[in-house]
Amino acid sequence: MRRKQSRWPNHGSEKIQATLYGIASLAVLLLLWIAATSLFGWIGARILPSPFAVISRFADLLIDPFGGSTLLGHASGSLERWSLGVVAAVLLGIPIGVSFAWMPWFRAVVNPVFEVLRYIPPFAWVPIAILWFGVSTMTQASVVFIAAFPAIVINSQLGVQQVDRILLNAARVYGAGSLKTLKRVVMPVAAPSIYTGIRIAISNGWMALVGAELVVGKNGLGFLISQGQNNDSVSTIFVGIISIGALGILIDTIVHRSEAILLPWRKKLAKAESS
Amino acid sequence: MTGDRKTPILELRNITKWFGREGDGILAVDDCTVKVKKGEFICVVGPSGCGKSTLLTIAAGLEKPTRGEVLVDGRPAGPPGPKRCVVFQKFALFPSETVAQNIKFGLQMTRVGAAEQEKRLAEQLAIMGLEQFRNAYPSELSGGMQQRVAIARALVMRPEILLMDEPFGALDAQTRTILQEEIQRLHKEQHYTVLFITHSVEEAVYLGERVIVMTRRPGRIKREIVLPRDVAWKQGDIEAAAEHPEFIAARREIWALVREEIVAR
Repeated sequence: MRRKQSRWPNHGSEKIQATLYGIASLAVLLLLWIAATSLFGWIGARILPSPFAVISRFADLLIDPFGGSTLLGHASGSLERWSLGVVAAVLLGIPIGVSFAWMPWFRAVVNPVFEVLRYIPPFAWVPIAILWFGVSTMTQASVVFIAAFPAIVINSQLGVQQVDRILLNAARVYGAGSLKTLKRVVMPVAAPSIYTGIRIAISNGWMALVGAELVVGKNGLGFLISQGQNNDSVSTIFVGIISIGALGILIDTIVHRSEAILLPWRKKLAKAESS
Repeated sequence: MTGDRKTPILELRNITKWFGREGDGILAVDDCTVKVKKGEFICVVGPSGCGKSTLLTIAAGLEKPTRGEVLVDGRPAGPPGPKRCVVFQKFALFPSETVAQNIKFGLQMTRVGAAEQEKRLAEQLAIMGLEQFRNAYPSELSGGMQQRVAIARALVMRPEILLMDEPFGALDAQTRTILQEEIQRLHKEQHYTVLFITHSVEEAVYLGERVIVMTRRPGRIKREIVLPRDVAWKQGDIEAAAEHPEFIAARREIWALVREEIVAR
């Protein structure tokens, strides 16, 4: 029986294939979109604007302010509030998550509070945030924090918990105390897990931010969408949505790629596992 | 007491280990006493699950015995540390560090000076044949190379006692043979004190000057067989040794003892 001969027999080309499939499917979607709106008018312009309308609105918004700022003004405002919340979540979340795993007494004391707060959805905090911070950057940044924090804590904790005991034993035998073990052995091994936590937290935070901006505030991509809605400008809404999606992908890609730089041994581990 | 040639450098005295509650859980080791003199190479063999690895973990200080004590140079051993270096079956190399960093780990933890660190590192890399892997990560190395790094990590500390927990158990047969001979040669040159756990009777006969046979769980000392290290057949490689009648007799005797324990009810 003849094996089906692949035209592209090696590893790297599988990636190219996958990318081409991806591009192809997006292209098909785009064509359908054009067909449904401009070409055949299957869907009305008030429900789904054509891609051309969206692009044109996009260009407008780059130059003319709408709802107080240009597109870039809204985007940078969103990014600013989002990064405040995420940085706070990272700075607080990693030590707390690591401590949960490393110091059982700490976990016993703090975890119950954490567990209770974690199940409250970020949006439920919006009224409290408004109460405490008024209409300001802090309001939305705090919502981002609430959304991002749990993922970082949990993944940091898991990362430390999953470090093989034998490594801890080896560290002890070769003279490392608790802190040195944590720093040189545990944290590097837990880092990929923590990174995953950061990636999840980032996207949770981004989505929570947009939601918060829909409800409160005077700037941002979420606010842009609500202004589009108030002014009956569907294309504005779509510009907002696409910008949000694009920025989200961009941020995630940056975080994902930076892992390879910051954790060089991980790549080698992956290579070894796949060979 | 210190340095007294009569005092064993390592003594496991009446070691008993219960996992779970005493009397109610699992009795892994039952009243074992092992005395190791300075420079001796002691092998412990026994059926799987007999508690020999537990004994080694206790010797290292990584586990506390339920009863009994571990003495180094006649004094209570205390927590684990670089005086009793361990080579683990699963290597236990730090994956985020290079070969050089792994080997230097213990030196850095004990605040050895940088120049001395480099000197000893270079020594070990040469001895274990690791020079070209200095900056490699463990995941890039074969099992045999990784274990060499683990051995180097231990030897670089110039430990008083070297504890080896089935160190070649995870390696292929060829690498095992080569490393057995290397350990034999190193021991001859440097006279480390070694407590070596294995389930391979051949390995124990070739390497050990005393072979301690344990019973099945709960592990007790069944028999001790003396095989002086200066016999002719231990000076060469293991295939030549394996053809010598004394080797064959010792292997037969020890294997019979172990087999008894495997099939015993």
